[in-house]
Amino acid sequence: MAELRRRFSTFVSVFIIFFFFFFVFFSAIVLPTLASVGDLVELEEEFTEELLLKPLPDRKVLAHFHFEILAPPSPVNGRHHHLFPKAIAQLVHKFQIRELELSFTQGRWNYERWGGSDPLSMANAKPPGVELWATFHRPESEIDHTWKNLTHALSGLFCSSINFLESSTAFSAPHWGFQPNSSVLRYGALPREAVCTENLTPWLKLLPCRDRAGVALLLNRPSIYRGHYHSQKLRLISSKLTGVKLEQTLTIVLHPSVERYGLDSFSDGSTQPSWSLNSLFKQQLMGKCALAKDSRVLFELEHDLASQIDETESDYTWRNAAFELSTMPDRVARVMKSLPNQDSSVLYGFEVSKSSDSMPMDVGIKWKLPLIWSSSHAPVYASRFLMGSGNERGSIAITFQSSHLDEWLSTGSDGCAVHAVVFQVVPWYVKVYYHTLNIFMDGKRQTISDVVKRMKISPSEDKLSPGTMELMLEFPCDMQSATLTLDFDKGFLHVDEYPPDANQGFDIPSALITYPDCYSSRSYQTVDTSHFKSSLLPKFKEGNLVQSYTEVLLVPLTTPDFSMPYNVITFTCTILALYFGSMLNVLRRRVGEEERLSKSKASERRGLIPLLLLKLSSKLRGKRPETMQHSSPLPSSSSFFGPKLFIKVVLVAVLAIFWNYYLKDS
Amino acid sequence: MAFDIQGTSLSWSSPQAARQLVFLLLVMGAVLTPSSPSDIPSSSSTMHNNNWAVLVCTSRFWFNYRHMANTLSLYRTVKRLGIPDERIILMLADDMACNARNTYPAQVFNNENHQLNLYGDNVEVDYRGYEVTVENFLRVLIGRHESAVPRSKRLLSDEGSHVLLYMSGHGGDEFLKFQDSEELQSHDLSDVVKQMKEKHRFKELLIMVDTCQAATLFSQLHSPGVLAIGSSMKGQNAYSHHLDSDIGVSVVDRFTFYTLAFFEKLNMYSNASLGSLFNSYNPNLLMSTAFCRMDLYQRPLHEVPVTNFFGSVMKTIHTESSYKLVSSAPGVESSHDLHSVGADRLTLEAEADVVKQIDSPEKRAVKIKRKKFDQQSLGDGNGHQQTKSNKSLVKVIKGREDAEASPFSKALLTRKLFTFSKISLIMELFGGKFFRTTCMIL
Repeated sequence: MAELRRRFSTFVSVFIIFFFFFFVFFSAIVLPTLASVGDLVELEEEFTEELLLKPLPDRKVLAHFHFEILAPPSPVNGRHHHLFPKAIAQLVHKFQIRELELSFTQGRWNYERWGGSDPLSMANAKPPGVELWATFHRPESEIDHTWKNLTHALSGLFCSSINFLESSTAFSAPHWGFQPNSSVLRYGALPREAVCTENLTPWLKLLPCRDRAGVALLLNRPSIYRGHYHSQKLRLISSKLTGVKLEQTLTIVLHPSVERYGLDSFSDGSTQPSWSLNSLFKQQLMGKCALAKDSRVLFELEHDLASQIDETESDYTWRNAAFELSTMPDRVARVMKSLPNQDSSVLYGFEVSKSSDSMPMDVGIKWKLPLIWSSSHAPVYASRFLMGSGNERGSIAITFQSSHLDEWLSTGSDGCAVHAVVFQVVPWYVKVYYHTLNIFMDGKRQTISDVVKRMKISPSEDKLSPGTMELMLEFPCDMQSATLTLDFDKGFLHVDEYPPDANQGFDIPSALITYPDCYSSRSYQTVDTSHFKSSLLPKFKEGNLVQSYTEVLLVPLTTPDFSMPYNVITFTCTILALYFGSMLNVLRRRVGEEERLSKSKASERRGLIPLLLLKLSSKLRGKRPETMQHSSPLPSSSSFFGPKLFIKVVLVAVLAIFWNYYLKDS
Repeated sequence: MAFDIQGTSLSWSSPQAARQLVFLLLVMGAVLTPSSPSDIPSSSSTMHNNNWAVLVCTSRFWFNYRHMANTLSLYRTVKRLGIPDERIILMLADDMACNARNTYPAQVFNNENHQLNLYGDNVEVDYRGYEVTVENFLRVLIGRHESAVPRSKRLLSDEGSHVLLYMSGHGGDEFLKFQDSEELQSHDLSDVVKQMKEKHRFKELLIMVDTCQAATLFSQLHSPGVLAIGSSMKGQNAYSHHLDSDIGVSVVDRFTFYTLAFFEKLNMYSNASLGSLFNSYNPNLLMSTAFCRMDLYQRPLHEVPVTNFFGSVMKTIHTESSYKLVSSAPGVESSHDLHSVGADRLTLEAEADVVKQIDSPEKRAVKIKRKKFDQQSLGDGNGHQQTKSNKSLVKVIKGREDAEASPFSKALLTRKLFTFSKISLIMELFGGKFFRTTCMIL
């Protein structure tokens, strides 16, 4: 029995030990893997924040904020997001957005001075006002409806009048002019939309740290909006495979305050002003956003500037003969342009995580040598203007100035050509006659078919749709300048359709000129580029089409004097009513019948007061009331042309004239 | 009603009678509350439970800077006093902050000392520029929008809302100009207010207008629960307060300036009354006579705290029990949740009714005694009576449901019954506490 019990106890202990081991094994191996499966889904949502600073040739500074949130494709019940803003996720889900870009811009990007072809300016130079385009995962028939609802949703989200893009007169569906192949794309622009704090507020609320920490801390509203150019952009890319990517960028061109930083070192105007984050934004970096995977400040020296510095034979350490950075960079890299004959630019990287409340980071530069450089050139500079005068007709002209075509087209032979795609949307009240298209090249008029390689035009319909023009032009390489003109008539709006400030004129949104042959991209070389795990830099690596937006045109339309019709109508109506009313009254009145009628009525009524009145009137006239009845029919016929009538008519006319000339002035 | 009061004064002497009285009151509250024909209870019986503000600047162009500054000052004030951004509809007819003429970009000041940037860092403008039209203004108030219009652009007030409507712009005899091209007339305003009242979109409405001859704008109002104040009488102009030579234009109007001067001294917890606000307007300082139309408003102004309109400060009824059953009940569909929520609201309203009835001034003594009594008898018989009253309540709800019953809803009837039993359970749960709460409020 004891034996049995001992065996049993050993069995139990072995079992317990086995169970214990199993438990340890389970907890050590199985559980973490289970947990990691759960974690994987959660952790993959990524947020990175970056700020790129770049001195511009015209003594200004470009600051480009880049925030990116990546939401991987969600599991079955996954509408819960860690970092990804819920508002945007709902938007993507509800409207089945494939791609969307919304930009709010104030000011015009200066392509000649600030960069006409580098990837950064290509992606972030936007037309003034609001520009929105989107493509959807929806059948063609539903897209217009979806677009309308989307504009409303966005207008609520971003405190802006984007809902004006809802009407079919405001948006267009470009085929290949805006993007190479975009059949389901909708494009709309509001050139006059104001951009201010109320647009930035909701935009910042999409960020995990808002503007409380990280790079966004620098966004001091008065400093931003004091700038020469600011463009706030939101870009969404959604697909079933990669999930949703939200890119938010803010590009600002600021003028550093020279008073404080320039005068101490150099008093002549030839040197660039020295600046730092604090002088630009009145803020400093105080640590990164805790939710960000990466938080980094990049400082870029353009290739032309870098080559200038090369000439001074200084190296690219942070303190050299040409300049001095206020903070030691963590990394230095050289970036190559794709074209072989161009110099490389220099990139300094700063980790924001190294700063803190007690040790704020204030990236800045102090110039030691006066340097003059220029930004990247566009192959062709385009600009657009109005011609003609008067309120009836006019014409739109787009000019192309070839600048550095040889840089772009290495094969400078005779047969070479550069292509340009013009995409222009014109509101319906500017009635463009597309058959009047004229093209002049170096002052000589060209046959349309020689220059225009491809054309898609949808003329405007009154109060229904805007006119859209997509043209592909081919210029020979030796072309110096080309001009394209189109005539238009100015239409009339309904009185109700005029905006309150109609006298200011009406805006024609920017045209977009794309050069399909020219790609701007950069490749990385040399020093530890692999350490720049930047989300911003790969954007530059992708080939971006070189493009430029033209100016917004301001067309003065015939506007009624809104107070004039009212006055005219009231006065005219009064006179007409007075004149014709009394005239008809006199002409149509049959006095005899009326008196007979009143007599019969009077006889019916036996009230005290009417009787008294009758007696009184008869006494005054000195007649008996009975006699009137007999005498009345005869004078009625004679009074028709009698002097009394004449006097009456004259009286009315005099009254009317008096009214017209004397009372009108008051 | 008179009968009940008599009954109470006679019968509070014994605990039993008092208990009966309370039961009676509860039943009465339950019966009275849903007596209005529509599904929504009449606003008179609803408690004030939320605040909304519609702030409108109707003037375009730079020289009307002060109108935007006026509106933004009010915006800042109501935000400071606790109305959240999603309950403020801000309409600004032009962009002054980032206007090219503004030497202080992204900033708007209402005083030449430039101490306070009204535009702040997180302003949210709901309607702006060309969107500020009479049509949109009326749509916001009435709530008839296109289906695509987002929530942030809608006034989602209900029968428990106190709504503040502030307008600043150029006006005249019975009209207010919008963007110098349209006019809102006093008849429009009164029609809109009437519609709002009919649609139960407010419990009380305060209209505040800073414009010339503002008083004439209220002449057609006739809906109850509306209080209107304007900056000037008929034939008077409303003047600006002072000019800022840096900005180059006048920055604030007198009426708004002195309104703000009054509010600057207050915080969320102040008990300043509307009466004191209205008395603070000095015609000599305003250079016009502020006009207040209060014949449509029931409550005496010196008893109404300004935070009832300019802030978001509500009475709370403290219940110690939680709504566990609603949240934890598994497999309950959302429609049932809705019903139960509705029922909860009904009970709350019933409570409010009881509170109101008890709160009549001649019964102070009763209340104190009952407090003692309730503390004694919390545990025992109270729950029972509570269920009884709940049953009657449930009956009422059921009756109402049946009245609008469709075949679809009939199919759900059994489930509803389940829900109702749940409701009664909930009510049993905090039935006992209810009296304690009542006493606490008293």
